[in-house]
Amino acid sequence: MRSDPAILGDSDLLAWRHWAAPLGWFAALGVLLVAMPHLGALFAAIDPEAREPIYRRDPFIDLLANHLLVVAGASSIAIVSGVSAAIMVTRPWGRDFLPLVSQLASIGQTFPPVAVLALAVPWLGFGGLPTVVALVLYGLLPIVRNTLVGIGEVDPSTREAARGMGMSPSQVLWQLELPLAAPVILAGIRTSVTVGIATAAIGSTIGAKTLGDPIIAGIINGNTAYILQGAILIGVLALFIDSVFARLLPSQR
Amino acid sequence: MSASSSVSQPHSASPNRVLLALMPAALAALTLLDIASVQPNRIAPGQGLNLWAIMGPAGVLLAMLPLGVCSLAWRATTLRLRWALCLVVLAMIALPLGLAAFCRVFIDPGAPYARVGLAAGFWVLLFVFMLALIEFKASLRLPHGSWWGLGALMLGAWGLSLASGMLDKLALMQEYLGRSDKFIEALLYHSLLVASAVGLSLLMGFALALAMRRWPRLERGINGVLSLIQTIPSLALFGLLLAPLAWLADRYEWLAALGVQGIGAAPALIALVGYSLLPMTRNTFVALGDVDKGVIESARGMGMSPSQIFLQVRLPLALPVMIEGVRITSIQAIGLAAVAALIGAGGLGTFVFQGLGQAAMDLVLLGALPIIAMAVIVDGLLTALAGALRQGVRHD
Repeated sequence: MRSDPAILGDSDLLAWRHWAAPLGWFAALGVLLVAMPHLGALFAAIDPEAREPIYRRDPFIDLLANHLLVVAGASSIAIVSGVSAAIMVTRPWGRDFLPLVSQLASIGQTFPPVAVLALAVPWLGFGGLPTVVALVLYGLLPIVRNTLVGIGEVDPSTREAARGMGMSPSQVLWQLELPLAAPVILAGIRTSVTVGIATAAIGSTIGAKTLGDPIIAGIINGNTAYILQGAILIGVLALFIDSVFARLLPSQR
Repeated sequence: MSASSSVSQPHSASPNRVLLALMPAALAALTLLDIASVQPNRIAPGQGLNLWAIMGPAGVLLAMLPLGVCSLAWRATTLRLRWALCLVVLAMIALPLGLAAFCRVFIDPGAPYARVGLAAGFWVLLFVFMLALIEFKASLRLPHGSWWGLGALMLGAWGLSLASGMLDKLALMQEYLGRSDKFIEALLYHSLLVASAVGLSLLMGFALALAMRRWPRLERGINGVLSLIQTIPSLALFGLLLAPLAWLADRYEWLAALGVQGIGAAPALIALVGYSLLPMTRNTFVALGDVDKGVIESARGMGMSPSQIFLQVRLPLALPVMIEGVRITSIQAIGLAAVAALIGAGGLGTFVFQGLGQAAMDLVLLGALPIIAMAVIVDGLLTALAGALRQGVRHD
């Protein structure tokens, strides 16, 4: 999948042939959304005991849209605040906070996402909000961590040279540090979004309306057909989003 | 990666701005938020009590503590920071004792279902103190052993208070006491599930890494498949395994006799191993390949056979990086095993989802806190082990 060893230039990035995998997964997602409600006979064959072979409490398209909304909302908050936090603690005036923030980001990442999700409930109650908050809190960590690593890996002599050329601190940040750190930051965002999609699905258990709903309903009612429908859609959604990141990122190894 | 190395050592008499920012937060938590609550029974929301309601004017004394740390941090010499550390450690030790006193005073012995809930103020305070301790660890260069000692002191205070029964009226403890057998069983089962998944994936990852070294053309294919599995969300993978396993168990009785079912440990274990294979295989492969060629050459020069070289040179040198793989895998598996409770695999996640179902928040805590603690402890132990092995390799 992520096979091209070369770092893609801007023009390459837009070439159609590089987007075959994401487009393929996107098409698969679309076809599944349209076809799923008409596959009653197939799912009835898979689970003959099911009273109703197709999950109909909400249309799949609504569940997908809401799932994406939860992940996108949480991810954008996490990206903006995570990258800004990492920038702040690498400036001279914020450097005192660097050890604390860096430690916190790595300790926090050992916390299992389900536990964070569960702990949001006593605090915020049931529904979409605690899911979003848990996703933001958890999603922040890889972004902060990777931004710190990315900025930290910029060669000090390069930074010196830029300053020597008369660049202002903000120019150094925007034109040197962030572009050089971008691949590492993007890898952090990818981790964060991947975990986000999976955790949003589990968010169904605390009342967020996502593609996890059919799975949870299927588990509760012993309806394998529901479980399969939810699982297939979530799986294809995750593969689609991941293939987009795989295109944006230069190959890792 | 180590961020602390790039920090300039602050001038000894300059203020420690991190502590100066943290302590007002602790003060706000103490004065503005409810610290604890008294609940008439398991489900009914409790009545929150703030510091003033609990201690009256004497509470002002307690509020002085963050101010004291602040004043010490204002001119952060090493000596003054040590005093500030003492204050924070004392506060951490006093916290369970204070809670025990609160339970005694505010719970009517005649009300068997009454219990004490921990409110937002308590958690914020605990969190801020943890942050302060991390900051102390970064800015005070104490010998390594003293940190272990301080940690043992604080954990010991909590452990003793919990074990002595002083905190039995805490809602969390009430949930535990109501199902202590089940809790121990779930804890063991969770550990067993994680350990077998990590063990199996260690063996399989090792085999895959060896195959990739032997036949380099396999590398891309194996990596592709394993990262594909890793991308699929846990709930979906459990779901996808459930249907075929149920079908197999239905068709072949010997599989069912082995305990293979759609629901339960079988799909959980398969999914856990599936997720574990990528980090395990990747780390083992990289670790085995990273060994210095010169070392291998000189081992060959000493007349060692290829299998001796592998077992006595390459493997020991690769061990620290392989353990890093075990660490990532174990932490991941601890979290995923919790999700597996949804498909009936048991373990600590059972309490989390039961608690969510019954809106019994302390039951959720009883599941979630040990899961987090388990992940943090395993992380610490394996990091220490990898560090010790690296040291050993360097010294030999």
